[in-house]
Amino acid sequence: MLTKTQAVNGAAIKKAIEGRDGKMLASFYADDALVRVIDRNNPPSKPREVRGRAAITTFWDDICSRAMTHKVDTTIADGDNLAFTQACAYPDGTKVFCAAMLELKNGLIARQTVVQAWDE
Amino acid sequence: MRPIETRYALSGEVRIAYQVVGQGSLDLVFVPGFISNLDLHWEDEGYTRLLKRLSAFSRLILFDKRGTGLSDRVDVHHLPSLETRMDDVRAVMDAAGSGRAALLGASEGAPMAMLFAATYPERTRALALYGGYAHFHKWVMSPERLNAFIATADTAWGTGATLPNFAPGRVDDIRFSTWWARFERLSASPTAAAALARMNAEIDVRGVLGAIGAPTLLIHRRNDVRVDPDASRFLARNIPNARLAEIPGRDHPIWTGDVDRVADLIEEFLTGACAVAEAERVLAVLLVTRIYDTARLGDRMWNERSQRFQETWRTLVGRHGGRCVDMRGETMISRFDGAGRALRCAAALREAAQQIGVSSAQGVHVGEIELRGPPSGLTGRVTMRLATHAGRGDILASRLVADLATGSGLHFTDAGRIGVDELDEPLALVLAMSEQHLEPACRPKAKATEPACLTTRESEVVNLIADGKSNATIAAELRLSEHTVKRHVANILLKLDLPSRAAAAAFSARHAGSDGPS
Repeated sequence: MLTKTQAVNGAAIKKAIEGRDGKMLASFYADDALVRVIDRNNPPSKPREVRGRAAITTFWDDICSRAMTHKVDTTIADGDNLAFTQACAYPDGTKVFCAAMLELKNGLIARQTVVQAWDE
Repeated sequence: MRPIETRYALSGEVRIAYQVVGQGSLDLVFVPGFISNLDLHWEDEGYTRLLKRLSAFSRLILFDKRGTGLSDRVDVHHLPSLETRMDDVRAVMDAAGSGRAALLGASEGAPMAMLFAATYPERTRALALYGGYAHFHKWVMSPERLNAFIATADTAWGTGATLPNFAPGRVDDIRFSTWWARFERLSASPTAAAALARMNAEIDVRGVLGAIGAPTLLIHRRNDVRVDPDASRFLARNIPNARLAEIPGRDHPIWTGDVDRVADLIEEFLTGACAVAEAERVLAVLLVTRIYDTARLGDRMWNERSQRFQETWRTLVGRHGGRCVDMRGETMISRFDGAGRALRCAAALREAAQQIGVSSAQGVHVGEIELRGPPSGLTGRVTMRLATHAGRGDILASRLVADLATGSGLHFTDAGRIGVDELDEPLALVLAMSEQHLEPACRPKAKATEPACLTTRESEVVNLIADGKSNATIAAELRLSEHTVKRHVANILLKLDLPSRAAAAAFSARHAGSDGPS
């Protein structure tokens, strides 16, 4: 599959997120990847954890089903580590801002930590 | 908590108020039951708990149906169809940018959610239905009962009169019943409430059940007073991909009863992961109130008085800002945020017990307890031990409680120590005095006065003083004149070299526990 061969880098992530391409995003993760989300409702001592590619696929499918805009602004790569920030907006004006840190293993995302805040 | 921003979605020409809480990856739309008010939900502990739990794993979208709460009113003579109301869900989802969402339909919200799932399968990720039904008259109310309900709403709407129809378990909870009355007033006008009830009575979505393709979880409380659990059993048989979870309980609103149990089920269903067991602990002051029969009242009279006391207990605990958390026979457990409140409530309960004619003994302790369920941990056991150890009319508290009540104007006398198996050291105790007096807060055992110097009659009198009884009451109980009692009291104070009745009461407790100085 074409998506499988897509190299995981800042540009690919930016394209997939901004294009709300859930399938592409899911293909970036290793089978046993772990995504941790820290926010007001999921504090650092008890972050929300999404484990494994199947759950991560659902995670991205849900997010990409939203009629919202995403803009990936800053991407920093350092060896197997990648970081980016993401500014999102819903049609009613509500804004969300996320910062994500990623660890790559064999070219796929093995671990990702997202810290996010939003208007409420 | 910061107020949540309320926004308005346009559905046709009607404005539908909605709120969005949380930022989980999954969208969850809560379709409320009979009536709702977005702002008021956050003022109820159970409602807040439910919304907090759900918004921890989802982006929770809340709204008031047209004609209710903060949404536009409708013409009560031209009621909207269920289809129109269902379309409000779509309008809210569009406004909130939700392409696909899980729907949680509670009570009357369930048929709306079912209709939505059948109409917009591509926008329905999953369906969770709590206390739901497909046909109103079959599983909620017969036309006769509906007319009686509407008659109640017509004459007493806004007073909380409908509460017994929904949550009989909370009728005695003053704080909740007051909130419920506001909930009625702020969610719908009397005419609208009657119209809504009539509109709901027309609900029959049995024909669409087979068209629901989304995975469906049904939750129903086994003894639900409002909607027959058979309603969900019927749904389980007729919705293709449905699973039913029957849970204990009888109160109908989703935000009453064991809210966490409901949230656990929904979270597990929607995320595939069990909710993280969260042993939330809070610091609380516990008051255990024990009543017993010393006057050999006989079963009938005792039952009457005991019941009367229990009602008074609920009222007084509520009035002092506490919460009734458990009742085991004649032992009642309440919980407070502050030591002063707990002690004042204990004093009020002691007085109430005297007036009703039962004996009371109470224990007060402070410590961490589990936020959920009745207090079963160490703090609960220690408080229970204090109440068991306390003598007639006593309010026996741990020293820590007295320290926390410093500055409250309450007074205490030293009451020794008590060994508790699970504690390393014996627990220092005090007796709380209900009256203000001039003696030192903690009177040292300065005088080596022996109780034996009192006559039998004086001992009886001092015991009754310890119960906080007035001279007139003591006179009646001992069949003496009030004048004679006064003389006994004066002699007691003289013999024991004590400055006041309260000091005599403390002396009584100090010397003998439950039986007094005999």
